[in-house]
Amino acid sequence: MAKVKKYLVLALVIFVAVITFIPFLWMVSASFMPTGASNTYPPKLFPEKFDFSHYQILFSRLNLSRYLLNSIIISLGATFFSLFLNSMGGYAFAKFRFAKKESLFKFLLSSMIIPGQVTMLPVFLLLKNMGLINTYWAIIVPGMASIFGIFLIRQYAFSIPDSMIEAAKMDGATELQIYLKVILPLCKPILVTLGLFTFMGTWNDFLWPLIVMTDSNMYTLPVALANLSSEHVQDTEMLMAGSVITIVPVLIVFLALQKYYIKGIMMGSVKE
Amino acid sequence: MAEVILKNVGKVYEGKNRAVQSVNLEINDKEFVVLVGPSGCGKSTTLRMVAGLEEITEGEIYIDGKLVNDVPPKYRDIAMVFQNYALYPHMTVFENMAFGLKLRKFPKDKINERVNEAAKILSIEPLLNRKPKQLSGGQRQRVAVGRAIVRKPKVFLFDEPLSNLDAKLRVQMRTELARLHHQLETTVVYVTHDQTEAMTLGNRIVVMKDGIVQQVDSPLNLYNNPVNQFVAGFIGSPAMNFIEGKIVNDDGIKFTSEKNTLQIPLDEKVFSKYVNSKITLGIRPEHFSDEDNTVNKIKVTLDVVEQMGNEVFAHFAIDGKPIISRLKPKDTYRIGAEVEISLDKNHFYFFESETGSRIA
Repeated sequence: MAKVKKYLVLALVIFVAVITFIPFLWMVSASFMPTGASNTYPPKLFPEKFDFSHYQILFSRLNLSRYLLNSIIISLGATFFSLFLNSMGGYAFAKFRFAKKESLFKFLLSSMIIPGQVTMLPVFLLLKNMGLINTYWAIIVPGMASIFGIFLIRQYAFSIPDSMIEAAKMDGATELQIYLKVILPLCKPILVTLGLFTFMGTWNDFLWPLIVMTDSNMYTLPVALANLSSEHVQDTEMLMAGSVITIVPVLIVFLALQKYYIKGIMMGSVKE
Repeated sequence: MAEVILKNVGKVYEGKNRAVQSVNLEINDKEFVVLVGPSGCGKSTTLRMVAGLEEITEGEIYIDGKLVNDVPPKYRDIAMVFQNYALYPHMTVFENMAFGLKLRKFPKDKINERVNEAAKILSIEPLLNRKPKQLSGGQRQRVAVGRAIVRKPKVFLFDEPLSNLDAKLRVQMRTELARLHHQLETTVVYVTHDQTEAMTLGNRIVVMKDGIVQQVDSPLNLYNNPVNQFVAGFIGSPAMNFIEGKIVNDDGIKFTSEKNTLQIPLDEKVFSKYVNSKITLGIRPEHFSDEDNTVNKIKVTLDVVEQMGNEVFAHFAIDGKPIISRLKPKDTYRIGAEVEISLDKNHFYFFESETGSRIA
């Protein structure tokens, strides 16, 4: 009976996986079909012959390499600064003693209830006055530090024993050396997790880049893709090729870091 | 190589909780001093103040003649071994031990030399390339000690270093620490709650309770001449037995236990002024005997008998209070057996019941 149940569950899981995977598979496969081939009836799951022309057009005529570069610079930049600042903040909130620490943290946490859309206009005006609109900083700066990131690091840093920090002090480390040589390496799993969140969040973000990037040369991939869909509304294959280019980098990053990512999410839940 | 001096050192947490109260202590060069006491007695706080990990609320601490109150740990030239080892999990054993030297910008060959030397002393040479999680508890402890000795500090601080080890390993590491101290000839301040560790390791022992130093003395003196009931009860295993009673003048000065089970004639000169005051009699387990049954003898029923082979711990009750005696092993000691036991009058300790201070 238990065995039957196990196979039933397995079958269900496989079924759901297939359902989820088919649109993705079709996106990849349609991107290699000649123009119009994806709209025939009955629909085809695989291309009859591989056609790379959409990719060629995307990179040559439609300037996609520029958008790809924009996306990479912005996502990496935001991830780097977010890891740097959030880890410092989270570590300080977890391990330092300073006045009003708890109430300050509660105040920060409470600001999480404000929806992101509400702050868009003020942040936009702020950035405009700073002259950062249409620069990479317009996306990187607002994402540099987040309450969520600080919270994530703080919870993780709690699990680092105080004695380890004290041992480093006795060994002669300065506060900066403790942070760089003891805390950061120990936080690796959670840093990977946060890095992944930030990278994917920035990479996939559509609304904010649309607001702050008015110069088409500064578009990120999702914004460019949206433009593409309005300009080439008939050309499904071209859109699919654009989607593939947009999704594949995140997918690679995610798969490469998956091991650490799961470790990071699990850690802190049980104390070793 | 240095002496450590504490003058009226006190610690108050957040203006109200007093953890340590005016500790005065002179730890000589190359001396092994053990701070011992129950948890919460302030021993760890005292150690951490010497280390520089806790601020000193009152008093002064001198290391090697230099006032260190405001000197951060890294400039105090001390090393500390923590209870939970506190090894850096992302570094190998070698890197763990070399970390302090690297931060102090030692040249590479010097670091190698120091680490290898320490590894040899602690017999952890084959482990140098492993990570801490691949080590057993005892090995981790050695690495923690190694990390301390590579720096060749003036003073070693140990904060309950053996509490996380199993009983057998603890005994083994204890011996090794004693040997190591002999070999390195460095000043050691060692904190433990285990009186056996204190007795076996310390040149001198500092017994603390509620943030106050009760007595500072050599192990034997502490054992034989405790200044109060707390020290008497804390040092020694099994612990000293205490029998509540009072001094009466009934046909001569006598100590009588609460239910009159025990009546002990006493020296009038010393005890006459305590007539009618509550007194506690302390007697160590080994000062009971079933051989010399002429004086201070009582008949007891054994309720637990622990045969150790070379000795036997016989438990019984006086006035309904549990008493442990340490006797020579005999087959006749069984649960329920009636035995006549005498108390050695040369080894009585008397304490004022209220204050716990020693009378005689």
